[in-house]
Amino acid sequence: MAEKKYFHALQILDDNCTGCTACVRVCPTEAIRVRDRKAAIDENRCIDCGNCVNVCQFHAIIPRSDSLELINKFKFKVAIISSSYAGQFSEDVSYPVAKQALLELGFDEVAEEAYVTNFVIRIIQDYIQEHKEIRPILSSNCPAVIRLIQVKYPSLLPNILHLEAPMSILTRYIREEIQRTKGFKEDELGVFLIVPCVAHVTAVHQPEGAYKHLQDGAFSMGMIFGKVKDHIKKIQNNPGLIDTYEKGLTWALSGVEGEMVETPEIRTLSVNGIENVMEILSKVEDHYLDQYDYIVLRSCTNGCVGGCLNIENPFVAMSRIKKLIKDAEPFDFDSSDLDNLYKEGEFAVVPLAPRSIMELDKDIKTAIKKMKQINEFLIMLPGLNCSACGSPTCYALAEDIVQGKATIDDCVVLLKRHTKEED
Amino acid sequence: MLACVAVKSSMAEYWNIDPAFEEAVNAFISKKPEAGVVLEFEIGERDFVNSGKGSAEVKNTLKRLGIGPEILRRIAVASYEAEINVTAHSQGGKMESFIHDELIHIRFTDKGPGIADIEQAMVPGFSTADDLVREMGFGAGLGLPNIKKNSDALHIVSAKGEPTTVEIFIFYGS
Repeated sequence: MAEKKYFHALQILDDNCTGCTACVRVCPTEAIRVRDRKAAIDENRCIDCGNCVNVCQFHAIIPRSDSLELINKFKFKVAIISSSYAGQFSEDVSYPVAKQALLELGFDEVAEEAYVTNFVIRIIQDYIQEHKEIRPILSSNCPAVIRLIQVKYPSLLPNILHLEAPMSILTRYIREEIQRTKGFKEDELGVFLIVPCVAHVTAVHQPEGAYKHLQDGAFSMGMIFGKVKDHIKKIQNNPGLIDTYEKGLTWALSGVEGEMVETPEIRTLSVNGIENVMEILSKVEDHYLDQYDYIVLRSCTNGCVGGCLNIENPFVAMSRIKKLIKDAEPFDFDSSDLDNLYKEGEFAVVPLAPRSIMELDKDIKTAIKKMKQINEFLIMLPGLNCSACGSPTCYALAEDIVQGKATIDDCVVLLKRHTKEED
Repeated sequence: MLACVAVKSSMAEYWNIDPAFEEAVNAFISKKPEAGVVLEFEIGERDFVNSGKGSAEVKNTLKRLGIGPEILRRIAVASYEAEINVTAHSQGGKMESFIHDELIHIRFTDKGPGIADIEQAMVPGFSTADDLVREMGFGAGLGLPNIKKNSDALHIVSAKGEPTTVEIFIFYGS
């Protein structure tokens, strides 16, 4: 099989990296190694969860997102905001003002992921009822979870909801709507996402699965936050009239999405945090969770509000969004066009291919041989799992040695012991 | 038939082998080949917090070896159920997994108190689980039948008041 290049929205700045191995230890797919005192990411294993970004104290792992100047290439610029955006501001800033600030920033229109929440919930429910032979169905919105399944739980790929994600559906809707009503040509119209996490930046640049409608760029919440705050200060005392759709903000919170999909016929489970997600996927593999019809899986704490590009703490952001939802007026987003497109099968997506990288070897006998060698090295290693060698655990180092990517001399502890013996 | 463990004359022995694998199982037992990889776990009496970790480790190991998802699931279910059985019904014991080129052989050995009637224990719904075990969500009487359903061969040696040995054989190509 030809090696495919995977795009990742992460960049390691060698000048800042001290080789401390904090990132090595938190990576759920063991994708990072420190060699020659610098961290390096294995592109085949990385799922863009952003754990390493959160843990790096030296700003050596930088999320890659597009530069804001990019929007100037287009005549008409649309920003689509992730629902978690609403939770990022202090309570004296109203949501309409926060949304208006993006218009001031240079966008001609700001659309909310929240517009399509009700529509998406409806089509998810329909999909679940139409696919009774598959249980449980796994949510497809979180790109990090999808990549995790491709890498570590490939047997669960058929369980993924094969429908486009809200941001993707909305992108298509906006492109058609604006070209029709405002007369812009395809290449004059730029659609951009304001995203809470690295995985969504990756999804824009390498769309797969639930993300099939390409946007023109993705901006990190953190990157634009300063500028947005400046504009908020300017407009706060004299805000314009901006429509907002608070009732649809539920998408940012994994627990609430589950509650909304749930009906007397559909039993749901909501899971967030990558460690929890892995435990649940392992149980799904063994058919211990077949009693659930739908499982909402989000890599970050509390869902998208926990994304590593956000500003606010995930619990505070969640509480703010819940308040906005509670206080909001009910709204009606006319989704009859979308309903028709759904009926025509327009939002179906192609099945994803596995990225099986966990196997030691394609041949089972060779794989067993390698595992035997790994165990032999493991006995020699100190078992401290200190990561000082640059591999996450002693087991991972043993594996790296057998795969020819490290030597036993990389073990600092053994080296020290040998030096003492020689003295 | 030759068993993998020594059987005292006072002990009852139970075998269930899928006919398609009878020959392969017999050949395996008489040859007693050395396993490529061996995994060992202690199972504590009533240690429901840690119960299941052994079978999870076995599953993760087999994944690294490239075992297909359906076989993997059967191994995971059979070993998990057996691990829970040792936790819930015995005074503790151990789980040893022997990974060979074409099959996995998992042996559970406990410290007693033994199964009084193995045939009865194999009946779906039959359970001697006490209230605590049932409170934990186990004890539905499906453990052994589930192990039987998911394995190519199942071997049990036990008697009232004696330790129990449960052995599972699953071929990767089955």
